[in-house]
Amino acid sequence: MAERLYDLIFICMPTTPEEEIAKIVSTLEQTASEHGGKVEKVEKWGTRRMAYRVAKQREGFYVYLALHSTQGSLIKELERRLKVTDAVIKYMTVRLDEEIKRQQKLVAHREHRARRRPRKPAAAPAAAPPPGPTAEQQAAG
Amino acid sequence: MSEQQPIPRPPAPSGGPREGRPSGPGGGPRRGKRQYFRKKKVCRFCVEKVDFIDYKKVEMLQPFVQERGKILPRRMTGTCSKHQRWLGLAVKRARNIALLPFATEL
Repeated sequence: MAERLYDLIFICMPTTPEEEIAKIVSTLEQTASEHGGKVEKVEKWGTRRMAYRVAKQREGFYVYLALHSTQGSLIKELERRLKVTDAVIKYMTVRLDEEIKRQQKLVAHREHRARRRPRKPAAAPAAAPPPGPTAEQQAAG
Repeated sequence: MSEQQPIPRPPAPSGGPREGRPSGPGGGPRRGKRQYFRKKKVCRFCVEKVDFIDYKKVEMLQPFVQERGKILPRRMTGTCSKHQRWLGLAVKRARNIALLPFATEL
Protein backbone atom coordinates (compact mmCIF):
# COMPACT_ATOMS: atom_id res chain seq x y z
CA MET A 1 0.00 0.00 0.00
CA ALA A 2 1.12 3.43 -0.77
CA GLU A 3 2.60 5.49 1.96
CA ARG A 4 0.31 7.96 3.59
CA LEU A 5 1.05 11.15 5.44
CA TYR A 6 -0.83 12.23 8.48
CA ASP A 7 -0.89 15.06 10.93
CA LEU A 8 -1.75 14.09 14.44
CA ILE A 9 -2.45 16.74 17.04
CA PHE A 10 -3.43 16.01 20.57
CA ILE A 11 -4.13 18.22 23.54
CA CYS A 12 -3.20 17.24 27.08
CA MET A 13 -4.47 18.62 30.34
CA PRO A 14 -2.50 21.77 31.19
CA THR A 15 -1.51 20.20 34.50
CA THR A 16 0.23 17.24 32.90
CA PRO A 17 3.91 17.05 33.83
CA GLU A 18 6.48 17.13 31.01
CA GLU A 19 7.68 13.59 31.67
CA GLU A 20 4.23 12.18 31.15
CA ILE A 21 3.86 13.96 27.82
CA ALA A 22 7.25 12.63 26.78
CA LYS A 23 6.07 9.18 27.78
CA ILE A 24 2.89 9.47 25.71
CA VAL A 25 4.90 10.61 22.70
CA SER A 26 7.37 7.76 23.04
CA THR A 27 4.61 5.16 23.27
CA LEU A 28 3.00 6.64 20.17
CA GLU A 29 6.32 6.46 18.35
CA GLN A 30 6.70 2.87 19.40
CA THR A 31 3.24 1.85 18.20
CA ALA A 32 3.90 3.67 14.94
CA SER A 33 7.05 1.65 14.30
CA GLU A 34 5.27 -1.57 15.26
CA HIS A 35 2.57 -0.96 12.67
CA GLY A 36 4.88 -0.13 9.82
CA GLY A 37 4.76 3.62 10.24
CA LYS A 38 7.15 6.30 11.35
CA VAL A 39 6.88 9.51 13.30
CA GLU A 40 8.64 12.14 11.22
CA LYS A 41 8.36 15.14 13.44
CA VAL A 42 7.31 15.96 16.97
CA GLU A 43 6.50 19.51 17.95
CA LYS A 44 5.45 20.57 21.39
CA TRP A 45 3.53 23.78 21.04
CA GLY A 46 3.24 24.11 24.78
CA THR A 47 0.32 25.35 26.80
CA ARG A 48 -1.94 27.59 24.80
CA ARG A 49 -5.42 28.92 25.07
CA MET A 50 -8.09 26.86 23.39
CA ALA A 51 -10.77 28.56 21.35
CA TYR A 52 -13.47 26.88 23.39
CA ARG A 53 -13.67 24.89 26.56
CA VAL A 54 -12.70 21.24 26.38
CA ALA A 55 -13.06 18.97 29.40
CA LYS A 56 -13.75 22.05 31.51
CA GLN A 57 -10.34 23.44 30.61
CA ARG A 58 -9.60 26.73 28.92
CA GLU A 59 -5.99 25.90 28.20
CA GLY A 60 -4.30 22.83 26.89
CA PHE A 61 -0.87 21.48 26.10
CA TYR A 62 -0.67 20.97 22.33
CA VAL A 63 1.53 18.29 20.80
CA TYR A 64 1.86 17.94 17.07
CA LEU A 65 3.15 14.83 15.27
CA ALA A 66 3.74 14.33 11.56
CA LEU A 67 3.75 10.70 10.58
CA HIS A 68 4.09 8.30 7.71
CA SER A 69 1.99 5.19 7.62
CA THR A 70 1.62 2.21 5.35
CA GLN A 71 -1.29 0.64 7.20
CA GLY A 72 -4.59 2.19 8.02
CA SER A 73 -4.72 0.17 11.23
CA LEU A 74 -1.95 2.31 12.68
CA ILE A 75 -4.19 5.35 12.94
CA LYS A 76 -6.89 3.27 14.54
CA GLU A 77 -4.45 2.02 17.13
CA LEU A 78 -2.98 5.46 17.80
CA GLU A 79 -6.40 6.98 18.28
CA ARG A 80 -7.43 4.14 20.56
CA ARG A 81 -4.37 4.78 22.69
CA LEU A 82 -5.04 8.50 22.86
CA LYS A 83 -8.63 7.86 23.81
CA VAL A 84 -7.53 5.59 26.64
CA THR A 85 -4.93 8.02 27.99
CA ASP A 86 -6.47 10.16 30.68
CA ALA A 87 -4.20 13.15 30.23
CA VAL A 88 -5.25 13.58 26.61
CA ILE A 89 -8.41 15.63 26.31
CA LYS A 90 -8.63 16.02 22.53
CA TYR A 91 -6.95 14.63 19.46
CA MET A 92 -7.28 14.92 15.72
CA THR A 93 -5.72 13.07 12.81
CA VAL A 94 -5.70 14.56 9.33
CA ARG A 95 -4.60 12.73 6.23
CA LEU A 96 -2.54 15.07 4.13
CA ASP A 97 -0.80 13.14 1.35
CA GLU A 98 -3.45 13.84 -1.26
CA GLU A 99 -3.41 17.53 -0.56
CA ILE A 100 0.37 17.62 -0.68
CA LYS A 101 0.23 15.81 -3.99
CA ARG A 102 -2.18 18.39 -5.31
CA GLN A 103 0.02 21.17 -4.03
CA GLN A 104 3.09 19.73 -5.74
CA LYS A 105 1.14 19.46 -8.95
CA LEU A 106 0.15 23.11 -8.75
CA VAL A 107 3.72 24.17 -8.04
CA ALA A 108 4.98 22.11 -10.96
CA HIS A 109 2.33 23.61 -13.21
CA ARG A 110 3.24 27.13 -12.22
CA GLU A 111 6.93 26.52 -12.67
CA HIS A 112 6.24 25.09 -16.08
CA ARG A 113 4.31 28.17 -17.04
CA ALA A 114 6.93 30.48 -15.58
CA ARG A 115 9.58 28.77 -17.67
CA ARG A 116 7.52 29.18 -20.80
CA ARG A 117 6.50 32.76 -20.36
CA PRO A 118 9.87 34.58 -20.65
CA ARG A 119 10.62 32.87 -23.95
CA LYS A 120 8.01 34.78 -25.90
CA PRO A 121 9.42 38.30 -25.44
CA ALA A 122 12.95 36.93 -25.85
CA ALA A 123 12.07 35.12 -29.04
CA ALA A 124 10.55 38.15 -30.78
CA PRO A 125 13.71 40.33 -30.86
CA ALA A 126 15.81 37.31 -31.79
CA ALA A 127 13.57 36.53 -34.73
CA ALA A 128 13.32 40.13 -35.88
CA PRO A 129 16.94 40.99 -36.82
CA PRO A 130 17.68 38.24 -39.40
CA PRO A 131 15.20 39.45 -42.05
CA GLY A 132 16.71 42.96 -41.94
CA PRO A 133 20.22 42.14 -43.25
CA THR A 134 18.93 39.63 -45.78
CA ALA A 135 16.55 42.21 -47.14
CA GLU A 136 19.41 44.66 -47.45
CA GLN A 137 21.58 42.07 -49.14
CA GLN A 138 18.79 41.38 -51.58
CA ALA A 139 18.42 45.08 -52.24
CA ALA A 140 22.20 45.42 -52.72
CA GLY A 141 22.33 42.38 -54.97
CA MET B 1 -27.40 31.15 20.11
CA SER B 2 -30.87 32.60 20.54
CA GLU B 3 -29.44 35.57 22.38
CA GLN B 4 -27.22 36.16 19.44
CA GLN B 5 -30.08 36.61 17.02
CA PRO B 6 -31.18 40.20 17.83
CA ILE B 7 -27.80 41.57 16.78
CA PRO B 8 -28.50 42.34 13.15
CA ARG B 9 -24.99 42.73 11.83
CA PRO B 10 -21.80 42.08 13.69
CA PRO B 11 -19.15 44.59 12.70
CA ALA B 12 -16.89 43.27 9.98
CA PRO B 13 -13.35 42.68 11.19
CA SER B 14 -10.27 43.55 9.22
CA GLY B 15 -11.41 41.39 6.31
CA GLY B 16 -11.89 44.27 3.95
CA PRO B 17 -14.05 47.25 3.17
CA ARG B 18 -17.72 46.53 3.62
CA GLU B 19 -20.17 47.40 1.00
CA GLY B 20 -23.91 47.32 0.98
CA ARG B 21 -24.03 45.05 -1.99
CA PRO B 22 -21.61 42.61 -3.52
CA SER B 23 -19.78 44.27 -6.33
CA GLY B 24 -20.14 42.79 -9.76
CA PRO B 25 -17.11 41.46 -11.60
CA GLY B 26 -15.01 44.30 -12.83
CA GLY B 27 -17.69 46.92 -12.57
CA GLY B 28 -16.10 49.47 -14.88
CA PRO B 29 -17.27 53.08 -15.05
CA ARG B 30 -19.79 52.33 -17.76
CA ARG B 31 -22.67 53.81 -15.82
CA GLY B 32 -22.72 57.52 -15.16
CA LYS B 33 -24.65 57.12 -11.94
CA ARG B 34 -21.65 55.64 -10.18
CA GLN B 35 -21.31 57.24 -6.78
CA TYR B 36 -17.92 56.12 -5.61
CA PHE B 37 -15.08 54.16 -7.03
CA ARG B 38 -14.84 50.66 -5.73
CA LYS B 39 -11.44 49.09 -5.60
CA LYS B 40 -11.34 45.64 -7.09
CA LYS B 41 -10.47 43.13 -4.43
CA VAL B 42 -7.81 40.58 -5.17
CA CYS B 43 -7.50 37.15 -3.67
CA ARG B 44 -4.80 37.43 -1.05
CA PHE B 45 -3.79 33.80 -1.42
CA CYS B 46 -3.38 34.14 -5.18
CA VAL B 47 -1.14 37.16 -4.72
CA GLU B 48 1.05 35.28 -2.26
CA LYS B 49 0.80 32.12 -4.37
CA VAL B 50 -0.39 29.90 -1.59
CA ASP B 51 -1.00 26.33 -2.73
CA PHE B 52 -1.96 24.87 0.58
CA ILE B 53 -3.72 26.69 3.37
CA ASP B 54 -2.38 25.27 6.59
CA TYR B 55 -4.97 24.82 9.29
CA LYS B 56 -2.24 25.04 11.92
CA LYS B 57 -1.39 28.65 11.14
CA VAL B 58 -4.13 30.36 13.04
CA GLU B 59 -2.82 33.85 12.42
CA MET B 60 -3.19 33.20 8.69
CA LEU B 61 -6.83 32.14 9.04
CA GLN B 62 -7.88 34.75 11.55
CA PRO B 63 -8.44 37.64 9.10
CA PHE B 64 -11.00 35.51 7.26
CA VAL B 65 -13.07 34.72 10.31
CA GLN B 66 -15.43 37.00 12.17
CA GLU B 67 -14.97 37.64 15.85
CA ARG B 68 -17.78 35.25 16.59
CA GLY B 69 -16.11 32.55 14.56
CA LYS B 70 -18.00 32.77 11.30
CA ILE B 71 -16.15 32.33 8.04
CA LEU B 72 -16.29 35.58 6.11
CA PRO B 73 -17.92 35.38 2.68
CA ARG B 74 -15.91 35.86 -0.45
CA ARG B 75 -17.67 39.07 -1.32
CA MET B 76 -16.09 40.71 1.70
CA THR B 77 -12.61 39.30 1.55
CA GLY B 78 -12.20 39.02 -2.21
CA THR B 79 -10.83 35.50 -1.99
CA CYS B 80 -11.09 33.48 -5.20
CA SER B 81 -13.39 30.48 -5.19
CA LYS B 82 -10.58 27.94 -5.18
CA HIS B 83 -8.88 29.46 -2.18
CA GLN B 84 -12.15 30.06 -0.39
CA ARG B 85 -12.83 26.34 -0.63
CA TRP B 86 -9.45 25.49 0.84
CA LEU B 87 -9.85 28.19 3.43
CA GLY B 88 -13.17 26.76 4.56
CA LEU B 89 -11.59 23.36 4.95
CA ALA B 90 -8.68 24.78 6.92
CA VAL B 91 -10.96 26.76 9.22
CA LYS B 92 -13.10 23.71 9.87
CA ARG B 93 -10.05 21.66 10.74
CA ALA B 94 -8.73 24.36 13.02
CA ARG B 95 -12.10 24.48 14.76
CA ASN B 96 -11.97 20.78 15.38
CA ILE B 97 -8.79 21.01 17.38
CA ALA B 98 -9.82 24.16 19.27
CA LEU B 99 -7.50 26.50 17.41
CA LEU B 100 -10.49 28.51 16.20
CA PRO B 101 -13.89 28.83 17.82
CA PHE B 102 -17.11 27.33 16.47
CA ALA B 103 -18.85 30.22 18.17
CA THR B 104 -17.41 32.43 20.84
CA GLU B 105 -19.31 32.16 24.07
CA LEU B 106 -19.91 35.33 25.99
